Amino acid sequence: MKNPFVMESGNYKTSYTKDMALYRNPRVKRRMLIIVILLFLIPLFASNYVIGLATLCAIAVIGAIGLNILTGFTGQISVGVGAFLAVGGYTSAIFTTTYGLSFWISLPLAGLITAIIGGLFGIPSLRLKGLYLAIATLAAQVIILWVIGNWESVTGGGSGMVLERPSIGGFSFYDQNSYYYLCLVVAVLTTIYALNLFRTRTGRAFLAVRDRDVAAQIMGINLFSYKVMSFAISSFIVGIAGALLAHYTMIVTVELYSIQVSIQYLAMILVGGLGSVFGAILGAVFITLLPVGLGYMVEYLTMFIPDAYSLLSSFREFVFGLVLILFLVFEPGGLVNIWNNIKNYFKLWPFSTKE
Amino acid sequence: MFKKKLSFVLVSLVLLLGILAACGDEGAEPTGDGEKVIKIGGLFDETGATGDVGAPYAEGERAYFEYINSKGGVNGYKVDFIGEDYAYDTSRAQQVYQSLRDRHEVAAVLGWGTADTEALRKQIINDKIPFFSASYSENLKDTGSESGYNYLTAASYSDQGRAILEWIEENHKGDSPAKVALVYHKGHPFSESPIQDIKDYATENLAGVVEITPDILIELGDTNPLTTLQTWEQNNEAPDYTIINYTWGQTRNVVRDATSLGWDDTQFMGLNWTAGEGLIPAGADNQQWVDALDGFIGVVTHAFPTEDLPGMEPIIEYLDSKGKTVEDINQKFVQGWATASIMAEAIGIAIDQTDGGDIKGTDIKAAIETIDNFDLQGLAADVSFAPDDHSGTDKIRLGQLKDGEWEIITEYFGISDK
Repeated sequence: MKNPFVMESGNYKTSYTKDMALYRNPRVKRRMLIIVILLFLIPLFASNYVIGLATLCAIAVIGAIGLNILTGFTGQISVGVGAFLAVGGYTSAIFTTTYGLSFWISLPLAGLITAIIGGLFGIPSLRLKGLYLAIATLAAQVIILWVIGNWESVTGGGSGMVLERPSIGGFSFYDQNSYYYLCLVVAVLTTIYALNLFRTRTGRAFLAVRDRDVAAQIMGINLFSYKVMSFAISSFIVGIAGALLAHYTMIVTVELYSIQVSIQYLAMILVGGLGSVFGAILGAVFITLLPVGLGYMVEYLTMFIPDAYSLLSSFREFVFGLVLILFLVFEPGGLVNIWNNIKNYFKLWPFSTKE
Repeated sequence: MFKKKLSFVLVSLVLLLGILAACGDEGAEPTGDGEKVIKIGGLFDETGATGDVGAPYAEGERAYFEYINSKGGVNGYKVDFIGEDYAYDTSRAQQVYQSLRDRHEVAAVLGWGTADTEALRKQIINDKIPFFSASYSENLKDTGSESGYNYLTAASYSDQGRAILEWIEENHKGDSPAKVALVYHKGHPFSESPIQDIKDYATENLAGVVEITPDILIELGDTNPLTTLQTWEQNNEAPDYTIINYTWGQTRNVVRDATSLGWDDTQFMGLNWTAGEGLIPAGADNQQWVDALDGFIGVVTHAFPTEDLPGMEPIIEYLDSKGKTVEDINQKFVQGWATASIMAEAIGIAIDQTDGGDIKGTDIKAAIETIDNFDLQGLAADVSFAPDDHSGTDKIRLGQLKDGEWEIITEYFGISDK
């Protein structure tokens, strides 16, 4: 019998099929299943507050995975996520509220329309790289929000639009638990999709474009179509996240999608780990919960220092910046790299604990 | 090696924070010893874009509840006022609201900005939590499914604009119609809020007397309004009046630049967030601002602390206990205080009606809707609510800057007086 305390610490793959497998071995598959089941069981023992936060995390996870496909895997920087979230949210608002379509139709439509607009703004990426592309996507952010703010007949202008929570038959997703389940299911589907995407030709083409686009082109990858495709796929997922967020807050206004949101999403994939689906998940959860954790800390400190509240009220921005800098300096690989280091440490223990 | 270790330690520290956040400490609510407590939530902007006016407003709200608790609370109930700074970040406001609702289980919320108030207005209906905002957007007057749990504790921006038009009609000299220019940020929820209503009111009620010129569109963050004003001036004559809807900083920029263009005969006017002590920046070298803004007329919804009013007595008593004077506070403090006192009035009614039971958001909603001519003793116009009327008042005063000091030039008036 296999010693249960010894982990596998080598690469035993003997065929290409094994190398491409979604789960490296049955243990990983079981672990994933257990994690997903645990996530589904959260509402049984957690308070409404925790579920509310978990819902926001799930939505952020979807958006961060979407952005990571573009920025982490294809290497195209985008600072326009906020605006693409807005496109998704507003599309769903217009279809459900103005035209009375069902949420279940308008959700994929929101993704599709965001994909089209995202692809459109991805066209300059053929000629622009790095900082220049960042500025081009910044233009997307500004232009889209300006259009939404000024196209009053369709978007309601400054006062925004009101949405309803989705419903199936007579059941509507008004309480915390049901909406959490909805977001969780979409987040799990997105994760599975993203994991599989990088086992396909398209996904590997994205990686090749990221690593060196000239080499990718020589290998026969059509740079233009794959870059635009990356923008479209990424925007589709971001649009879905935007629609879910809009139906969660039940309102869309321009101010919900400022440049600050874009930066938050970039921070998520940066802190989590560029080019990793698991990293995007970790980063999204971390950045969403960071202000909450700091709030608890300030509350805790006020027990000892009564003035802590006014002293530390701008603490959050400070810590947010600090965390970003620390990650960039000490762990550019992000949370997922830390996770892997910890895992490897235990795998190799006690033989080689030095790195 | 060392670097790796350090990063490991740092990152695990940060991770730990995250875990702390996820778990939270559920049982840490202050319970008090046997006395009854009602929890009210607060959403403040103390460090964000509107922190200049948001911080004193929040301080006023906190001060009021501290004062009322020191007097034995509301009908024997202590008010536990739990607030958090959301730094004018709408997505952060969503999180803070969730924490107030689910973690602290507050019965009502005192909020702040237009964008976040509007972003929450559907959720508070779902959660049955009454909401007083410092945003007086006309959108919040709805009593049904749009914003049925929002209440306006002062005249809405649209009512303020309508009142200004009425004042212009009465005070305009000359035979030709008064040319009124509206200055705002198109697409901005707060700034754009009253514009359409002001235009409609002018065409429906004041045709031939007031003429609205093409809009002057300047963004809130535009630090150089001069270019926009110059372009506008090429196609239009300088207006007789302007109605500005910004906060202090941008208002003073616009007025300064318009004055420098030689709009000497233009009467500059603004809604309530343009008025207040901070319109003229403090400091010894502010004479240029005193000169540029001289004669500016602003909507004054709440009293200045320097006014001699019966409502000021408890504020002065509170300030004395802190070793402060009225010089240390400003009009926004009074505004926060007055808003909190309306909430306290509603809490008091709810306590009477529920006979000391558990007070829920619906009880407070019902209580608010029975408030009839609640006397704020001069701190603001008296407010009344009803199930089909969520706007407390439409009455305002106008104040004018003279040599850098605000002077009240009208009594409380509103368009319902007509």
